Amino acid sequence: MSEIILEVRDLVKKFPGLTALNGVSTSIKRGEVVFVVGPSGSGKSTFLRCLNLMEQPTSGEIIFKNQNITSGKLKINKFRQQVGMVFQHFNLFPNLTIHKNITLAPVKTRKLSAAEASKRADELLKRIGLYDKQDAYPNQLSGGQKQRIAIIRALAMNPDVLLFDEPTSALDPEMVGEVLALMKELTQEGMTMIVVTHEIAFAAEVADRVLFMDKGEIIISGTPDEVIRNPENPRAKEFFSKVL
Amino acid sequence: MVKHLYLWTVAVAAAAMLLICGCGREQSKKLIMATNAAFPPYEYVEGKEIDGIDPAIIRAIGGKLGYTVEIHDMSFESVIAAVQTGKADIAAAGITITPERKKQVAFTLPYMIAEQVIIVMGKSPIKRSQDLKGKRIGVQHGTTGDTFVTANIQEPERFTNAPLAVQALLAGKLDAVVIDSEPASVFIAQRHDLVRLKEALTYEEYAFAINRENSALLKDFNAELQKMIDSGELKRIIDHYKESHASEQSSGSVNQSFAGRLKESFYLNFVKEQRWMYLVRGFAVTLEITFFAVLLGIGIGFPVAVIRSAADQTGRFKLPDLCCRCYLTVIRGTPVVVQLLIIYFVIFGAVNIDKTLVAVIAFGINSGAYVAEIIRSGIMSIDRGQMEAGRSLGLSYTQTMSLVILPQALKNVLPALGNEFIVLLKETSVAGYIALQDLTKAGDIIRSQTYDAFMPLVAVALIYLTVVLILTGLLGRLEKRLKKNE
Repeated sequence: MSEIILEVRDLVKKFPGLTALNGVSTSIKRGEVVFVVGPSGSGKSTFLRCLNLMEQPTSGEIIFKNQNITSGKLKINKFRQQVGMVFQHFNLFPNLTIHKNITLAPVKTRKLSAAEASKRADELLKRIGLYDKQDAYPNQLSGGQKQRIAIIRALAMNPDVLLFDEPTSALDPEMVGEVLALMKELTQEGMTMIVVTHEIAFAAEVADRVLFMDKGEIIISGTPDEVIRNPENPRAKEFFSKVL
Repeated sequence: MVKHLYLWTVAVAAAAMLLICGCGREQSKKLIMATNAAFPPYEYVEGKEIDGIDPAIIRAIGGKLGYTVEIHDMSFESVIAAVQTGKADIAAAGITITPERKKQVAFTLPYMIAEQVIIVMGKSPIKRSQDLKGKRIGVQHGTTGDTFVTANIQEPERFTNAPLAVQALLAGKLDAVVIDSEPASVFIAQRHDLVRLKEALTYEEYAFAINRENSALLKDFNAELQKMIDSGELKRIIDHYKESHASEQSSGSVNQSFAGRLKESFYLNFVKEQRWMYLVRGFAVTLEITFFAVLLGIGIGFPVAVIRSAADQTGRFKLPDLCCRCYLTVIRGTPVVVQLLIIYFVIFGAVNIDKTLVAVIAFGINSGAYVAEIIRSGIMSIDRGQMEAGRSLGLSYTQTMSLVILPQALKNVLPALGNEFIVLLKETSVAGYIALQDLTKAGDIIRSQTYDAFMPLVAVALIYLTVVLILTGLLGRLEKRLKKNE
């Protein structure tokens, strides 16, 4: 846990009539599991979406593996192949089978050959116990299954970092567990993860570091103990007393 | 992305240009005659050929001058324009010499003195031309009768050809029809309930029209025409056609059962003289135009939809987007008939180009605008999360669009697209405006020969309906199959 993989300097994102991020700085090390928590509208999701340039930052810098990705000279598709993203609403491709959902990007970006991609998809599907669903279409799966497929779809690209944007918010309560279990497995394998979530208990359990955001700024950054269990900051104290 | 689209558009345009140029074949010593072949005995369709007094004279003189004559059938209003724009060398359609027309084209020597006469039903109270005032008068649009009635009596009801006006008279929709005496005598011979008033409404001279700049042709033509007049050959030709037409009697007898009349009408309209072949050939033309127009429409609509969506989603491609918007506004804001006529007479006015190709281009460009908006609505209906998911995996905009968004969008808009193609099939029925013999025009031709409105129209309607039903069925099956894959 030494190399800094992602560094964010003074990130600002303005939407018409709204400053979503107001100077956010942090750095994330390889293998680190960072949870971003905070009240609704605090800029958590915008922050995450700036990290893979789903949103174009208004100002500030993002350095990924010693390369400035906000300079404008970046090959954006090459960059995104190294940063996976898991969405709240899964966003599986309903026109493709599960197997094709997983192999599409590795093959089309020439990261893997068709045979390699297929082999990798098989491995990943077996790992999450959905190998028998490979020829099914997304709409035939449950929400929990869809989200786990979405996670391994991102994993199939062998990313350096995985971004999670409220991965369990759209799930029925009984499906949340299976998704969290898979995420926990990934943390144990040393995957670098940045997770925006409302699952505070889960954050407290698996996070290396927690960022508490409010009004477009990072208020505190520290271990789960420092931020969640025994926060000194009054705003954090108030927030966690409500959600825990 | 847009680079690819440009290439695509350029390729389509280039292919279209090649086609156009390929059709602009130049052949020496060809005389193109423009006519409206629904004016017996001057010109009418007989089997595949156009025959009559005018074609016979033109063929005779053309032959002596060393031309092969090619006859183009179009609406009467278009024949003068065809000569003016160079689409035809000579217009021969029982054209009366008038001061207005003299300003537009040069006339040959007159070959015929004709009267404009009044036809009424046998029991009509109209006995003299003075009785016409205030009555419903039918004329053929653009004829001398039209001009005379408009100037001296009142606004007439204008029909695209003489048989239609006579049919309207027979159906009780008119009180009188003003037409040339020659076709009038044909109608009278065929329908005994029609009467021609003794007193003619006006007199006129028929001549052929030639482009004012083509004085060489005019001089040669007049020389030969004068020889024909002197030798009596002209009179022989005219008498021949008048007689052969007057002898053709309508077989319509009154004392028959409904089924018997239906059977006879069926025989007259479809079986006799193999008239069903008009429908077959017209149907083939309609299908041909529709099929290629659909292809062209998709070829245009697809890139336009993608450019418009890309511009909306990314805020880039401002200029191509502006062009697409203009295209959509103009095409969707004007009637398809007007577009067809503009493309034929204005854009390709000076080029000798295959009319089917003109129709394909016009209907294709027209359909492209609607296809574009349908596909764009499909693209817009797809959740933006789909694009984000594709891009987050490192796929390019083009890849995500073509592999993820468009397949879903197309499935969503398939019913609307199918409907557009059905509309297009029916819209091609205006192809007759540029004298293409499509299915609708085939019905017109049969009507102009048999003076029966019911059978040909019902037959044409049934053929369209059948095709639409088949298309609807096929689309339904396709939709069902696509639904399975979800």
